[in-house]
Amino acid sequence: MSNPALISLHQALKKGFQSLENNQKVWTSVLADCSPLMVSLGNLAEQSRALSNVQISNTPLRDFPDLEERLRFKLLQATDTVLGKLNEKMSSLQSVRDSISNQVFAVFQHYEQNTDSLDLLTVTERSATAPSVSDMLEWLQDAERHYRQQFLRRKTLLQTLRADDFSLLELAPKRWKSWDSPSAEDHIKDTLCKVSFFIMSQ
Amino acid sequence: MSLRLLSVDPSDRGSQRCRLGPGLMSALGLSLGSPLLVSVPGGSCLCTAWPRPDLAEGFLLMDLKCSSPSLISHPPTHLNLDPGQLTPVPCPKLKAVKITVVVQSVDFKKHTPLRLVHELVKDMLKGVYVHEKNVINLEDFDTEIKYVVIESVNLDSASAGFITSKTGVEITGIQTVRHYMSQLQDQHTVPLGGLEEVSTSLREILQLPLLYPGTLSSLGVSCPRGVLLVGPPGVGKTLLVRRVVREVGASLVVVRGPEVVGSRPGESEEKLRAVFERARSAAEEGPCVLFLDELDSLCPKRTGSSAPENRLVAQLLTLMDGMNQSDRFLIVGATNRPDSLDPALRRPGRFDREVFIGAPTLQQRKAILSVLCARMPVCPSVDMAELAQRTTGYVGADLSALCREAAMQAIRENSKSLGEQALGMKHFQEALKAVRPSCLRSSLGRTELASMSWEQIGGLEEVKLKLRQSIEWPMLYPEAFVRLGLCRPRGVLLYGPPGCAKTTLVKAAASSSHCAFLSVGGADLYSPYVGDSEKAFAQLFRQARACAPCILFLDEIDSLIGSRSNSQTPNSVQTRLLSVLLNEMDGIGLKTLERRGTEKILQAEGVEENRKQETLDFQEVCNKDVMVVAATNRPDCLDNALLRPGRLDHIIYVPPPDQQARLCILKVCTESMPVGADVCLEELAAKTEFYSGADLENLCKEAALLALQEENMEASIIKHTYFLRALSKMSPSLTAQQIQTYQKPPR
Repeated sequence: MSNPALISLHQALKKGFQSLENNQKVWTSVLADCSPLMVSLGNLAEQSRALSNVQISNTPLRDFPDLEERLRFKLLQATDTVLGKLNEKMSSLQSVRDSISNQVFAVFQHYEQNTDSLDLLTVTERSATAPSVSDMLEWLQDAERHYRQQFLRRKTLLQTLRADDFSLLELAPKRWKSWDSPSAEDHIKDTLCKVSFFIMSQ
Repeated sequence: MSLRLLSVDPSDRGSQRCRLGPGLMSALGLSLGSPLLVSVPGGSCLCTAWPRPDLAEGFLLMDLKCSSPSLISHPPTHLNLDPGQLTPVPCPKLKAVKITVVVQSVDFKKHTPLRLVHELVKDMLKGVYVHEKNVINLEDFDTEIKYVVIESVNLDSASAGFITSKTGVEITGIQTVRHYMSQLQDQHTVPLGGLEEVSTSLREILQLPLLYPGTLSSLGVSCPRGVLLVGPPGVGKTLLVRRVVREVGASLVVVRGPEVVGSRPGESEEKLRAVFERARSAAEEGPCVLFLDELDSLCPKRTGSSAPENRLVAQLLTLMDGMNQSDRFLIVGATNRPDSLDPALRRPGRFDREVFIGAPTLQQRKAILSVLCARMPVCPSVDMAELAQRTTGYVGADLSALCREAAMQAIRENSKSLGEQALGMKHFQEALKAVRPSCLRSSLGRTELASMSWEQIGGLEEVKLKLRQSIEWPMLYPEAFVRLGLCRPRGVLLYGPPGCAKTTLVKAAASSSHCAFLSVGGADLYSPYVGDSEKAFAQLFRQARACAPCILFLDEIDSLIGSRSNSQTPNSVQTRLLSVLLNEMDGIGLKTLERRGTEKILQAEGVEENRKQETLDFQEVCNKDVMVVAATNRPDCLDNALLRPGRLDHIIYVPPPDQQARLCILKVCTESMPVGADVCLEELAAKTEFYSGADLENLCKEAALLALQEENMEASIIKHTYFLRALSKMSPSLTAQQIQTYQKPPR
C-alpha cells in the first residue's frame, strides 16, 4: 500500500464508484418516469390506426365537419407532446451516461498514465476488503458499456419512429420494455456491494 | 506452451476484451487494456488484453468485436494458439476514419437520415480499437446497425488505432447485411475453363449499364434485361453465372424452379413475386442478377386452359414486362430444354439474348482440363492436348468427373504402395474407361466396342487403306488435309457380298481412331408410332454431332433406309428415314441449338506452343462433322441421292477374298488353334474359291469340331484330313454370278 501511484488510483476508483452509484439512482428514476410515457405513445398509435381503419362517412358522426382531419391533428399533437417529453427524459439519460463515461474514461486514463509503476502483480492483487484494481477497472468498464448500450438502443428506437408507421409505433413500448434487463442492473448493484467496503475504507 | 482458445464469457460479449493469464501478459509487456493483435487461421482479431478473473494461464478467451471479415461467418473454435500469434500493437488516437455501415434491413437504410446513422455509429464506436479493413461487430447494441467495416484509418505508419469522441467518422456507404455477406461468401474462386467468349458477353451485358448509364440513356435505348443460357446438361451454365456474378461483384438471387412451386393455389405466384421483390431491393445496392435455374420446369409451354403452371408462366411474363428502367437487375435463365419453354418468354423484352453453350470443342476441353488439373499434382508427362482428343463428347461435368476418378485411381494405388502423390497418364486411362460422356448416355446407338486392330483382319489391304484414308488420315494428318484443301469425307459406303468382313472393318476403324462410335440398326429406330422413327433418327444425328468427331455406323443400310425409285410404297417409314438421312448429311446447316464453340478463339500467346496450337486448330477444322459409315450387301437397293458425292462420297467395294487373302484369313483364324504340322493352308486357300471370310472361319470351326468328334475330347491337334473332310461337306456361300453383279458399280 506504499505505492503512491496505487493510492492515487484507488482514490480515483473510489470517486468513480461513488459517481456510478449516484448516477445509477438517477438513471433508474428517469427510466421509471419514461415507462408511462411509452405506454401512452403505444395507445396513441393504436388510436391512430383505429382512426385510419374507420370510414367516418359511414358512421353517425359524419355530420361533424372535417372530423377525421381534426382527430388526426389532435392525435399527432398528443404524440408530439409525448415524444417531446420523452426527448427531455432522453437528454437527462444522456447526461447520466455522459457523466458515467467521462468518469470511467478518466479513471482509466489515470491508470494508463501510471502503468510504469503499476506492474501486473500489483493490479491483480486482491485482499479481503478490496478487490483487485483490474477487477474494479473491469467493472467500471462493464457498467459504462451497459449504460451506453441501453441509451443507444432507446435513442435509436425513438429516433427511427415515424408518424406514418403505426406498427412501429405500436411495437415501441414493447421493445422499450424488453430492454429493461433486471439482471444487468442487479449486476451493477452487486458490483457496488462488492466495492462497498473499499469505498468506506480510508 | 500453447494457449487453448475458449468461447467468450457472455458478460464479456461486446467488450473487445481478450482474456489471458497475467503471466503471459507481463511476458508480452502488456498492461490492462493494451491492444493486442491475435492471428488465427483465416484472419486476425484486435482485442484489449485483460487477465482472467481466476488468473489462470494457458487459456485464451477473446471477443471478436474487431476482426477480419472472414471470421464473422466462421468464428474460430477449438484452436490451440501459439503465444507467438499474439502481438501487441501500438494504437494511437485516430483523427479520422472512413467506414462502411452494414445495416439489417433495406427499410432502415431507406428511411433513416444519414445524420442520425452517423451520430449513432459515432457513439457506438467510441472507445473501440480498430484495425484497417477489419469489421466491427455492433450486434451487442441490438439495433439495426449490425457491423461497421473500417475502410481506412488516416495514419501513415500504423494500420490500427483508437477511436475517441474527437475522431472524425466518415461514412462512405451503407449496405445491408445480406448484400455484405453475399460479397464475403463469394471470395473463393470458381474454376472455369473454355467459356471465355460466353462469359465475356455476359459480363458485358452486366457491366454496360453500370459503367455507362449516361450513354445508354442518351441513346434512348434500354439495356438488355434478360439472358437465356441454353445448353446440354453439364456444360457449366450455372457455374458460368456464378463466376461472372462474382467477377462483376454483383449480388445473386437464385431461384430454382421447383422451389417456387407451392401447393395452394396462388402460392407459387406469390413466391415468384417475392423473389422479384428481393432482387429489386438487392439491385438498389449494386448490380444484381436474378438467376432462374432449370427454367423449363418453371415455365413450361402453356397447354389447356386451367393448368396451374399457366398462371405461374403468366405471372413470370408480367413480372418480366413490369420491370421498369429503374430496376437495374438482370434476369438470367438457364435451361437444357429450350424447346419446352413457353414461346412468349423467348422474345426481346423478356429474354433479349439467348446464349448457346454447346458441348465443348477440342480446345475448350483442353482449357477445361488445364483448369481442373491446375490444383492437382499431375505428372508433367500427362499431355492435356492428347487427353482432350480422347475425350470427345465429354462436357465440363464429365471432365471434372474424369479428373476425380483419376485422382481416386491414384489414391487407390498409393494406398497399396506408398509412392509419390502424382497423377499419371495411366490413371487417366483407367478413368476414361469408367467415365463415359454424358451426352451419349441414353443415346440410341451407344455401343461398347471390344478394341480390334487392323491386323486381325486378313487380306483386304486395299480396302483397309481406303478406310484409313477416309477415317484415320483426317485425324492424324490434318495439316496435310488443310494444305491440299481437302476436307473429310461425309460418308463411306462399304458394299460387297455377305460375310466379307464389312462390319469387322468398321469396328477396327472405330477402335483405331479414338472417336465416339454409334451404331444403329432397325430395332433401334422402328416404332409403331408415325414419325417416331424419324424423330429418333434425327435425335441420333444431333447427339452424334454433339460429341463430334463421331462415327455413325448404319449396318445393313438397304433394309434400314429404302429407295424412292423402286419402292412400292412411296411413303413408307423407310423413305421417310431416307429423307431424314439425306437432310442430316447434307442439309442446309446446323440448328442454332447445336452450335459449338465460336468462330474465333482467342489464343494464348507463346512461340513454342504455336506449332501445337496449329495442329489443334487443324483438328478443330476437320473434326467437326459426323461421319456416316454404311454397310450393305445390296447396293442396288440404295437411293441414288444417297450415293452422290457429298453424302456417301467414298464407295468402297469389299471383294470376296482372292487366294492370297484367303490364306491370310485362314492364318488369322487358325492362330489360336493347335494345327497339325501337316496342315497346308496354301492348299486349303487354293481349294476354297468363292468362300467368304465367314465361310473360312466356319471351315476352321468345323474342322476343330470334327477332330473332337473323332478323337473323343482328347484331341490336342487338328490334322489336315479334318480340314479336308470339313471342306468336302461345305459349299461356298458365294457364286460367280453373284460376284458378277457386284462388279459393276452401283451408281
